[in-house]
This record gives sequence, C-alpha cells and structure tokens, in this order.
Amino acid sequence: MEPVMGINCSPGIGCISSSAPIWQDVLAQAVTGELLAAMNYSSLSEICEDPAEVADALEHARNERGHAARFAAEGRKIGVDVPNNVDAKHWKRLREAFMRCIGERDFIGCLIVQEIMLESFAVASYARVGKVAPGSLGRTFASIAAEEEEHVDHAMAILKTERALDAQRFDDKVHRLHLDVMTTLAKMLAKECKDGHCEVCHDTCVKPSLSEVSLSAAELRGVSLRQYLKTLDTLGLPGEVTLAWVAQLPV
Amino acid sequence: MGRSVASLTSQWGGPPSATSPWGGRWGGPPGPRPTPTSATDSSPWGGPPGPRPTPTSATDSSPWGGPPGPRPTPSSATTALDFALIGHQESWQAAADVLSVLRGPDLPPLPDDEIKDILPWIPPRTVCHVDVGSITGAKARGLYIDSFIPPDRLDAASTHDNLARVRAAATCAIKAGAKIVSLGGFSSILIEGNFDQLPERYASVFTTGNTLTVGFIVQGIHKMCALEGRDLRQSTLLIVGATGDVGSGCARCLAPLVKRVLLSARNVERLRKLAAELETDGIQVEIATDTQRFSTQADLVICAASLASPSLLLGGRIAPDAIVCDAGYPKNLSPSAEMPGARIFFGGLGQIARGLTFAPDFHGILNRHPFPDVVHGCLLEGMALALERRFEPFSQGRGSITPDRVDEIQAIAARHGIRLAPLYNAAGPVEDGVACQTELSSVREGPGPNKPGMGATQGSDA
Repeated sequence: MEPVMGINCSPGIGCISSSAPIWQDVLAQAVTGELLAAMNYSSLSEICEDPAEVADALEHARNERGHAARFAAEGRKIGVDVPNNVDAKHWKRLREAFMRCIGERDFIGCLIVQEIMLESFAVASYARVGKVAPGSLGRTFASIAAEEEEHVDHAMAILKTERALDAQRFDDKVHRLHLDVMTTLAKMLAKECKDGHCEVCHDTCVKPSLSEVSLSAAELRGVSLRQYLKTLDTLGLPGEVTLAWVAQLPV
Repeated sequence: MGRSVASLTSQWGGPPSATSPWGGRWGGPPGPRPTPTSATDSSPWGGPPGPRPTPTSATDSSPWGGPPGPRPTPSSATTALDFALIGHQESWQAAADVLSVLRGPDLPPLPDDEIKDILPWIPPRTVCHVDVGSITGAKARGLYIDSFIPPDRLDAASTHDNLARVRAAATCAIKAGAKIVSLGGFSSILIEGNFDQLPERYASVFTTGNTLTVGFIVQGIHKMCALEGRDLRQSTLLIVGATGDVGSGCARCLAPLVKRVLLSARNVERLRKLAAELETDGIQVEIATDTQRFSTQADLVICAASLASPSLLLGGRIAPDAIVCDAGYPKNLSPSAEMPGARIFFGGLGQIARGLTFAPDFHGILNRHPFPDVVHGCLLEGMALALERRFEPFSQGRGSITPDRVDEIQAIAARHGIRLAPLYNAAGPVEDGVACQTELSSVREGPGPNKPGMGATQGSDA
C-alpha cells in the first residue's frame, strides 16, 4: 500500500525533493554495482563449459541489469538522472580483481568475489537503505536485497562443497581474495573518502549527507561487514580467523 | 584455477536445467524455482540448519543478526574441545586492546571513534583458543567466545539485545563442540534467570559459574577479616543485591557465621522468600528494598548488584572501616571520598596455579588483572569442571547455590590449583607483600589495568 502522503513525502524523512540529490548518489552507487555485477556474470559465462552453466551466468547478468534498470527507474520517479561509472576508481579495482579470477579460469574465485564479498555488501546495504527510503524507492531496495540474497544462498552450496574438499586451500584462497577485494570495499565503505572523490557521486561526497535520510556511512559499513562475517561463518571459516581479517581492514 | 563445470555440478547435486533459470550451478535441481536455501539449509546469520526464525540477516533489527536457530550442531572438526568461555569487554579500552591484538603489530591501532562504530556490528564469535593446566597434570582445551556486547550497553535497556548476543555466542560454543560452556561477566547475570532462552543444547552443558564465584567471595571475606583482625562472628553483614544468584548464595554461606544479617534488594517478594529460608535455620534477618537503608549499620558489605555505579547503592554512606566486597559486574567500587576508610576488595576472582595460555596471545588483554592468571570465578568454574572431566551444568538458574555446593566446587577447583586470587581493588593490592604483575602494563601501549585512563578496573576474563 502506498503511503498516504505519496512517494515523495514520507513521515520522518520529509519531502523527498529535498533529499533527492542524496538518493541520486545512493542510487548511482547501486546502479554501478549492479552493472558491474552484470559484467562479471557475463565474463563468468565465458569460462563456463556446460551450456546450461553459460545460460545460468547470462541469466544472472540479465537479472543484474534488470536491477540496475529498476534503480534507474526509481531515480526518474524522484526526478533525478542516475549516473553510473563502472570505471570509477574503486569499482574498477573490484572489476579488475574479478577479471584476474576470470584470467585464471578460477570459477570458485569468481564466486567468492562476486557472491561472498560484493553481494554481502549489496545485500546488507540495500536492506538497510530499504528500511529508510520512502515509498517505492524503499520497496525496490528491499526487494532487490532479497533477490541478491538468493544469489548468495545458491552460491553457498557450491562453495561449501568446495571447502569440504580442502578447507585450508579454500580458506587461503578466500584470504587472498579478501586482501584484494575487501580492502577496496573497506575504502569505499570508510566513513570518509580519504582517497579523494569516488567518481560516482554527482557532486561532493554523499557520505556526510546520509544522516539527512536516516543513514550513515558507519552503519552501512557495519551491516556490510557483519553480513560478510556471517557469510564466512556459514561457509565454515573459523570465526577467530575472519575476525582478524576484518579487524585488519583499512578504516 | 581450472575447474570442471561437470564436476562442480555433480558436487552440489542435481543436473543443470536448460529450461529453468533456477537450475544449473546456482539453482540446484531442475524444476520449479525452489525455496531459497537460506531458509532451510544454511543461514547467513551463522545459525544452524533449520527453519530461520525471524527476518533475514540483512533485514533483522538486531545488529548481530538476531537469535540463533533452534538446532545447532557441533562441528566435527573440534570434537576435542573441552570448554568454551563466553564473555565480553567491559570497557572501550579493553575492546581497543583486543582489536589491537587482532590487527597485529604492523598496523596502527584503530581510532576510538572507529572502534565504537565497528564493534557493535561484530557478530559473536571465537576470539582465541585457551588452554588451561592443572596441578595434577591434567589439561583442558577451550575457546574464548566474545559476545561483543558494547561496553556502554550493559544497562537494562539493552537486555533484550544482549540476551540475543549471548544466545548467538552460545550457538557458537555448541557448534564448536564445547563440552561445557561457562558464562562470564554480564552473560552470567543475563542468563541466570533465563536459561530457557539458551539454544537447545546437544552435547554442550552450560553453567553460570556462579557457585565458584560465591566460593571466592566468601573466601575473600574470610581472608579480609583475617587481614583486618575482624571477628566474623561479631560482624554485621549487609548484602546488597541479596536476591540474585550470587547474592543469595553468599547469604546462605555467610549468614550462619555472623552476628547480624541485613539484606537489601529491589524485589520484596524475593527478599521475603530468602529471609524465610534463612529463618528456618534460626537466623534472624532484616530486609529492606531501600538499598541505602542499612549502609551505615554494617561492617561487612557485599555489593552483589551490578550497576554502573554501585556506590549509589550505598548512598555514599558507609560505616567507618567497613570491609566492602565488590562482587558485582562490572567491578567499579573504588576507595574514594564517598567511602572514606572503607576496605574495599574485588570479590569472586580466582587464580590458576598452572596458568592459562591464549592463542593468539591475549594474555593480560582478556584477563586484565594486576596479578597473573587471575580469572573471574564464573569462568573458572567451567575450566575447573573441564579439568575434572565433570561436564555437568553445575550452576543453573537463580537461588539454588548452597554451602554444600560451594564446598564441592571449591574442592574441585583446589584440586586443580585454582584458588582465591590475591585481593586487590582499583588502587592496587590490599595485601601487604603481594607484588602486582607490573610487566603487563609496561609492555603494552597505553595505560595498563587499574591506571588512570582505563575505562574500567578490569575486563572480561577468558
């Protein structure tokens, strides 16, 4: 049911027109992430050998592009153009990390990067945004968070099986990828962008303004890292080991 | 790494489907779209297989991911685990020190504001392995699991969240295969009246550890009286927080030994019940729900209530030269102008003769006391029972600690070299000729335990 005040005005948040520039940047990060995921799945399809696997990867790529389109549509509803930039410095590094796995034809590595690391970030942050964003914007974030979580769950079965074959080798691989990918994600999630403009926000950094829409960079980082740790727990990695990994990330 | 798609497909079961987008590698067997595996198989909140009880981890309202699931199963990889200790840090400085160890020597410490932002989001989990030795030569292996209750959320308003954290930590212990689990510090206080809220237990048993805590408090009272030349039989004993598990246990042990007994607590019904119980043994008891009413009348005081400032319980008034045992959690009574002349000591602490080892090395970080190998009695109880190979829920519930049970656990502990720790308070040792463990504070960065700048006088033990 739509809120009585309509999607542009929500109690506790105020008229969305004043916060539209903030949502614009939040959506820009989401669209960029979805497009990057689509690119990753397309790349993954190229190292799959079974036609059904290729189809699955391409289906996932389509789903991610669909998510990007839905986020962009939400932007239009609030009167903003949602930019994207998969070549922005952090996103570019994440793509490069994924492509290194592709270059090694490392299917498991690809799943770890995309499903365990990038999707942990997406699932947790979208769900959090979904709680505070008004109207259909919030519903879209929540809905896509749930869909992304299904991706993670499906990948978990494969990764658990893989870990059961050789836990130490698997954990070493996760750690190597963690150092690469999660270090970049941690910089993206830091309370302040210390390396300059992220090249996705349309103007100055959106992080200081997030409090105006009941969000905070610290909270988004918190939920994302929590989701990541829990995902690693579910995979069976020792909690004391993953705790140290996360404690060593940049802030 | 090269990888055969066919082999992967066969590993997770079900052939790929050319017709269903949910078939194939990501989707399990062909056919209708299945229920997401998160709801029935694995769960991102770290819980066990089984139906997920509440909203998904990403959307639930509790910062660590909600309650644990109903049926944790132990890990086959850790079947040699004897015990688990559940604790938390009681000051931000203690939390900072833990994170500093985890970050290692090559990384700078996290800024205080980052610690406060990050710690509340850490799900309960193992922090380190703990080995303990007995004077008999026996050894026991265990884990320290931190519930990551934020140090500033030990108040009543956070009880619901903290209980869920302890439950999640308990799930970690069960999954790790711990035979006995001791609940440390605030965890014990939270659970003593809520044992039914722990996850269903399989091979793991839980103990609050309160019986050994009572034993060390009582021993401390005896020792302090001896040090001060007091005759216990001529003393007036006041127990603040007398209806709790520890307070009532102390009352049963000490009331028959003193001249006059004063009990205070907030719940009058529980007070009356305890008084009636003691009176059946011929002990006259005076009770008050005004916790400050008896402050000036006692020369022996046990503060068994856990509040941010137990000095408030005493109203800042106390008999001159009274012996005061800070038996609450956190321990935060200190000799001050509020209690001039009071002889304060921290009660309920024991020391392990053969020591304990941490991996990674958290010595002096998780057990922040001025003497080596000192640990809270509640945690020592689990270790003592593990060394004794008595994996039983020795302390459960509230109000069932008796002098006989205290004697029994003290005998078990003593058999393994676990005895009353040297008495000390926030200002240092209260016994002459007992040297502190100064090397700890000298090797660590920042202020050491019981030095200015520490948020609390001691942290949670492992």
